[in-house]
Amino acid sequence: MSLENVATVLGPGEGALAAEAEATAGGSWLRAFGRNRLAVAGLVVIVALLLFSFVGPLFYHTDQIHTRLAMETLAPGAGRPLGTDDVGYDELGRLMVGGQTMLEVAFGAAAVAVVLGVLWGATAGYFGGLLDSLMMRIVDALLAIPAILLLLFLATVFRPSVLMLIIVVGVTAWLVPARLIRAEALSLRSREYVLAAKTMGVRSPTIIVRHIITNSIGTILVNATFQVADAILLVAALSFLGLGVAPPATNWGAMLSDGLNYTYSGFWWLTYPPGIAIVLTVLAFNVVGDGLRDAFGLDSRRG
Amino acid sequence: MIRFLLRRCFQAVVVLVLVSVIVFGLLHLLPGGPARAILGTHATPTNIAAFNQQNGLDSPVPVQYWHWLTGVLSGNLGFSYVQNESVASLLAQRLPKTAFLAGISVLLAVLIAVPVGFFQAVRRNRAGDYVVTTVTLVLYSTPAFWVGILLIDVLSVRLHVFPAEAPQGSFSALVSDPQALVLPVLTITLVTVAAFSRYIRSSVLDELAQDYVRMARSKGASRRVILFGHVLRNAAGPVVTLLGLSLPFIVSGTLITEYVFNYPGIGLLAFNAATSQDYPVILGVVIVVGAATVVGSLLADVTHAILDPRVRASAGIA
Amino acid sequence: MNAPATGRREETPVVAPVLQVTGLDVDIRLPSAVVHAVQDVSLEVWAGETVGIVGESGCGKSTLGLALAGLLPPEAETRGSIRQGGRELVGLRERELRAIRGAEVGIVFQDPMTSLNPTKRIGPQVAEALRLQRGASKAAALRAAADMLDRVGLPRPREQLDRFPHELSGGMRQRVVIASALICEPKVLVADEPTTALDVTTQAQILELFDGLSAELGMATLLVTHDMGVVAGHANRVFVMYAGREAETGTTETIFSAPRHQYTGALLGSILRMETPRKSRLGTIPGRPPDLTVPAAGCPFAPRCAAASGDCTSQLPTASAEDGHRWSCYHPLGIQQTEHIPEAQR
Repeated sequence: MSLENVATVLGPGEGALAAEAEATAGGSWLRAFGRNRLAVAGLVVIVALLLFSFVGPLFYHTDQIHTRLAMETLAPGAGRPLGTDDVGYDELGRLMVGGQTMLEVAFGAAAVAVVLGVLWGATAGYFGGLLDSLMMRIVDALLAIPAILLLLFLATVFRPSVLMLIIVVGVTAWLVPARLIRAEALSLRSREYVLAAKTMGVRSPTIIVRHIITNSIGTILVNATFQVADAILLVAALSFLGLGVAPPATNWGAMLSDGLNYTYSGFWWLTYPPGIAIVLTVLAFNVVGDGLRDAFGLDSRRG
Repeated sequence: MIRFLLRRCFQAVVVLVLVSVIVFGLLHLLPGGPARAILGTHATPTNIAAFNQQNGLDSPVPVQYWHWLTGVLSGNLGFSYVQNESVASLLAQRLPKTAFLAGISVLLAVLIAVPVGFFQAVRRNRAGDYVVTTVTLVLYSTPAFWVGILLIDVLSVRLHVFPAEAPQGSFSALVSDPQALVLPVLTITLVTVAAFSRYIRSSVLDELAQDYVRMARSKGASRRVILFGHVLRNAAGPVVTLLGLSLPFIVSGTLITEYVFNYPGIGLLAFNAATSQDYPVILGVVIVVGAATVVGSLLADVTHAILDPRVRASAGIA
Repeated sequence: MNAPATGRREETPVVAPVLQVTGLDVDIRLPSAVVHAVQDVSLEVWAGETVGIVGESGCGKSTLGLALAGLLPPEAETRGSIRQGGRELVGLRERELRAIRGAEVGIVFQDPMTSLNPTKRIGPQVAEALRLQRGASKAAALRAAADMLDRVGLPRPREQLDRFPHELSGGMRQRVVIASALICEPKVLVADEPTTALDVTTQAQILELFDGLSAELGMATLLVTHDMGVVAGHANRVFVMYAGREAETGTTETIFSAPRHQYTGALLGSILRMETPRKSRLGTIPGRPPDLTVPAAGCPFAPRCAAASGDCTSQLPTASAEDGHRWSCYHPLGIQQTEHIPEAQR
């Protein structure tokens, strides 16, 4: 039974004390997170993937620029742990390069989404009224259009590059944090310290940043983590559909797309490594996100 | 209740208008304007001018918008020069197929996710919960297309149980070949179940922690009575809202699945249109899907209000 | 279980208590700690009387109440004895406990809004216990529910059956909750802070309702509260708890006029009474309640007690009793001594 449930069953008096006992034994959210073995494992995986993608190529040298058609689609063997792809690139090296792109775009897009969404949502929630209604209706309208469709459209208009992908994915992803932070702002704006700040004449933008946003940091962090996970899935899907970055750059989704052609030939090393890499990375971020959410004690139905 | 309904409907209309504005904006976002986009890169300035005049593209923007909107509302969604057919007729052929695919998948997903979510919540932190939670977590982290590919690889290529491609042709041809539908439906269902059961588990856990559950226990209610007599109806409302909010997610999944399985729905239509730069078609799909999502969301909210009297009483939130 | 099949203990023709608790210990197992919520509690409650169980937040009174109602979570380990209606409650399995809940022991919680299912109408919720425990039909149960709502003072009871909880005011909701807890006419009612969430006028009405029902149904009521005022006006006897243990118990009059335990004295000193001189300051008790995960060696109140001495921290004081008035303190109030020897008080 979770701590919250014990507290509920025991009632306000002993329940609160029990929670306190557990908390002092446990410490702040950081320590609560640390006690969640699954979440820590996820964090380890993320760090490992970052190292693999960015530091790996320094140790494992492969040529990712020049194609060598004579070496195409060779099965894993000596000197090539994961074989080669259809234009002769070493698959393991490809995985590293692909990882770089994936992670760059995912972190970048998540950052764009969170910054945009938090500012939008905090403003809407803090001011309330007609402004809030209008801003949220815009969010609703954008949410009604599936990201994939919007991205399909945008990706054919703008030439794909890492920066473009970051902007495009970020611009479709900011809607969820906007909604979440708006809900936080709505509940925080009637807190006494906010009212006090208003009375003292503190200007609205300052209040929004210093009080609303800083007190929603838990929600923001949790959502940011899930944003990265979702961004990876989205970029993978886009690239899979052929709308990602151009060669010789690549990412795991594009690798899967290329590899799909060879499923019938049984070249498993062209599809399983990138596929598993995607699932592992997204899983790691989701698990860390869940862990953060539990550590902050947030409502598990949001984010 | 009436006040709530009116308010929600009004909101929905506002959102629909905004969707139309966005689509209209996208149409004119294209470099060179819609004329160049539709006529192609070889269009000469004369062609473009003629096209613009013909289609009223030299009038001020609000007027254009109005013409376009009235056109859309009367069923004119533009013309695809690439496929040489009106967008409306293309959509009419393919929309039912997508609706069919998505509909069956979602229905299955709900039928599976609700009991699974309940099971996870009730058996929290015990062996059964851990297994199910892990499986759903992994599924939740897997992109839809990868699920599709895996299913194809295992069930189609290696085991030859189901075909890897969906049947082309008319709607009746589609429906009469259930074997070919299994993999696409399975793909969407699996991905959706993963997302839904997570939410339902949280929802049920939240309800179980409520005071009224404690009260019911104090009157001698067994776990089964509590689950079916109290929790189920309270958790149903949020699940319905979840369904409404998940429509974009479900559509995305369906789109990708159509691509993987070559299923002749609006998803594949949109994708082909994207690669051939057939903008009227993409935008036609966007408008239809957007409108469907708004309406679906409205229906979900209304159903939630019917299930939960508190929602009715609160006359809606901004 | 070795509870007799029916009825009460047949011993001497003295009236037997409806509830008899002996040496009750309740431990709650948490992931990284064990909370000793109730330690060695013994008390008796007779039919028709109201016993006030008082103490600070977290002293174990709520857990005690839950234990008496058979509602402890699976994480709880119970030792000792709770005898109710001739039956032993400690060690009963869930299925057996279910038969007792609502039928023999009822409970009312603090917040009436959350105690009622917001999506269900009032009628079925009040009738629920009757249908579960007595197998009554829907129609018959609803009739009984309307009846009960009338008894708890709800106007137009038949109309209320169809309404939803959020349509009623706080006081009315609490009456509904009380009705739902009492519909099977249990012998014992545990009321856990029943008026804390209500305004003062409503508080008074609800407490009077308890008094009336107690007399009418011959029911024993346990009023768990931190509010001494509530206890003064509506309890026959008082049971003062501190850190999971009994500090003092006796009739209300005795406790208020001649408290013995230092803690009781401090509690009474911190509330406003008619006798309190005008310009005086209300007393406060310094410090905080102890950590229930670490059982104290001596008297748990010692760290905060003005009269504490060496004995107090090294050894748990044994109970002294005098005419049904019992306390566990080395330096009881109102008794002159320099060196405390409990035996001298017997």
